[in-house]
Amino acid sequence: MADKQILERVIKVVANVLGLDPEEIEPQANFVFDLGAESSQSVELVMAFEAEFDVDMDQEQALAVQTVEGAADFIATQLNS
Amino acid sequence: MSASTTSSAASLSPGSLDAGLAAIFRPTSIAVLGVTNTPGTVPHDIFVNLLDSRFNGAVYPVAPRKKHIAGVRAYNYVVDIPDDVDLAVLVFPGAVCEMALKQCVEKGVKAAIIISAGFREVGEAGLAREHRIKAIAAESGMRLIGPNCLGVINTESDVRLNASFARAMPATGKIAFLSQSGALCTAVLDYAAGKNIGFSKFVSLGNKADVDEIDLLRFLAADPETAVILMYLEEITRGRELMKAARDIAGDMSAPKPILAIKGGRTAAGAAAALSHTGALAASAEVCDGVFEQSGIVRCASIEEMFNTAQLLAYQPLARGHRIAIVTNAGGPGVMATDAAVNQGLQLARFSTETVAALKKALPAAANTKNPIDVIGDAREDRYAAALEAVFADDDVDQVLVILTPQSMTNINAIARAICELRERFASTRKPLVCSFMGSRDVAPGIEILQEHMIPHYLLPEWAADAMWNAVWYGRWLTRERTEVETYAVDREKAASVIDAVPDGYLIEPQALDVLDAYGFPVVDYEIATSSDEAVAAAERFGYPVVLRVVSPKIVHKFEMKGVVLNLGSADEVRAAYDAMRANLLVHVRSEDITGIMVRRMIPAGKEVILGVNRDPVFGHMLMLGLGGIYVEAFKDVTFRIVPIRRSAAGKMVRELRTVSVLEGLRGEEPSDIPGIEEALKRLSQLADDFPRIAELDINPLIVHPRGEGCHVADVRIRLEAMGPRSR
Repeated sequence: MADKQILERVIKVVANVLGLDPEEIEPQANFVFDLGAESSQSVELVMAFEAEFDVDMDQEQALAVQTVEGAADFIATQLNS
Repeated sequence: MSASTTSSAASLSPGSLDAGLAAIFRPTSIAVLGVTNTPGTVPHDIFVNLLDSRFNGAVYPVAPRKKHIAGVRAYNYVVDIPDDVDLAVLVFPGAVCEMALKQCVEKGVKAAIIISAGFREVGEAGLAREHRIKAIAAESGMRLIGPNCLGVINTESDVRLNASFARAMPATGKIAFLSQSGALCTAVLDYAAGKNIGFSKFVSLGNKADVDEIDLLRFLAADPETAVILMYLEEITRGRELMKAARDIAGDMSAPKPILAIKGGRTAAGAAAALSHTGALAASAEVCDGVFEQSGIVRCASIEEMFNTAQLLAYQPLARGHRIAIVTNAGGPGVMATDAAVNQGLQLARFSTETVAALKKALPAAANTKNPIDVIGDAREDRYAAALEAVFADDDVDQVLVILTPQSMTNINAIARAICELRERFASTRKPLVCSFMGSRDVAPGIEILQEHMIPHYLLPEWAADAMWNAVWYGRWLTRERTEVETYAVDREKAASVIDAVPDGYLIEPQALDVLDAYGFPVVDYEIATSSDEAVAAAERFGYPVVLRVVSPKIVHKFEMKGVVLNLGSADEVRAAYDAMRANLLVHVRSEDITGIMVRRMIPAGKEVILGVNRDPVFGHMLMLGLGGIYVEAFKDVTFRIVPIRRSAAGKMVRELRTVSVLEGLRGEEPSDIPGIEEALKRLSQLADDFPRIAELDINPLIVHPRGEGCHVADVRIRLEAMGPRSR
């Protein structure tokens, strides 16, 4: 499980990009199925994560991530490497 | 835009209709899962299409975290929808379709159309995903269309379903269209719109994870709104079921429903791997011709031909014969039409004396009252009407083609109206009428009048001739003599004793001959010699001339290896040929690989044909007949049928050969024993049907002697292979 702080920051980014209340975003939420992310927003999310965490992410790998907590785990891995 | 409407759609038909297919075509409520608010995207446009088509039922957009889409209240999940949902349309990305489908199962949705891509077409991971969604649906009895498809359209006035991302709802008509290519669908819809052709149902099959063309054929067979079914197919997996469904539907004498098809690609006969002539030839387009011929499917070479024929079959009576009358106001196009018609196999009708008299009375002296009738360039509607009245009344006319070219005095619209009126007046004659108003701009209003009255129109008379001939072909197939499969009294046990004792691979020639002999084929006696003395002794017993043939499991292509010597007329010749053959062969194979040298009487010369069987993974055993000899793969004059063949099919196969005249006797030659060829075909069909392990069989050549003198098998190769799970 990723650092709680990373998760909170991920939720904040997601809320900002998708126009949602952060309180409504569960860690297990699927970006598309639960949060309604459209394909252009998925790309926006990747860019926003990169900006927030100051990391470069492989776009294909990043877009394959399905859930909020999955994104936090992925980012944690990027940061550790 | 109003909120979701309550249902007044036609209820699901009870009884024979499969509930899942009924939910696909006549749902009373639809949920679209994955809708977005972004115009110009599939997830948005598909929902708007449903609204724009004025679907006669309730529509619910499932769009997580959206309040409404296009003015309709949206739901986060399909399970949040308070009412029942018959049909789900999934436009979520492929990766989340499993979650969506599971919720559809929970909701009790009866059927789903999965528009989304990302399944088998993207590779192994996508294929695995497709298997999973199929399993999810199957567990609850939900039927699926797709995935990876354009969608489904039903134009029935009490349904008005456009669950697709096509640009617009097509006009209503009596033609149903099924396609495996989504891209082709949109092109066809636009093409048809330009020709004022309407549809009853329109289906993009996509990956066919569940519902396939056979399920839809059966459904459309019972659909009263559909008169003709069109298919574009690439991959066929249930070959025999397709043939049976097509035969049942197109051949139903009480309510025949023609099926027209374009088949893209080649069959999966694995021509590259086949060693036999039959196998190499079996991957060609002729195989599909044979399959469609047997099934009554009208095979079309192009979309144009398909729709040209469909219009005629859907909106005009089925022609009783191939005698056509042509009425034209221009000589040149009349000649073109005549040439095209005759080339196709149609015949210019020979008018009765009454018809000629009526034409002479009604038309000016300069008009041509023979067929094609030329009413001359300054003709107006009265001359067209008089000509049509005469030909409709003539019992020797089966079909009518009207040609018009736009001269300055040609009152196109009035002529079009006169044609429509006469069509109506003579409807009881059940003679199809087609038109060719040649041109584009000036004739357009006249064409529209014809189309409003469901009279097929073709830009060129040649296209009319193609369509008329296809209709004749179908009519003849429908009314063909229906014969049974004819079998012979054979020694099945003897053949089985040979086949069952041999592992997969080629039979050596004596084994193959024994199998044929057991099934009553005309084989020549033989002996196997293991020395030149034995060969000479055998030759003396048979009588000269004789033939020597190597027998070896290692040598399949005997001629190429110089393992065959013909026409040996004396003991010395036999001895010399035997020694030379052995010496030559030992350069290529070991002595222990040569079982012996076969000695047999030389078969007298005759015409050579090839008979063969190839086991296709989709259709099962295919029987082939062709002009034989070593050039068979160059000439490719071959014809195919799926085993078992019926009695009448054998004769048809012979007549289909382009070079049949060679067998019928050319330039004073005696006709060949064609009944002998037909019997050999039927026996071969029976053999293949009895022994599924036969993967390839070539009789090349079967030497055919003059009529009454029979045939002889000159060479045979049989390869056995156990059937895999998909074979037959």
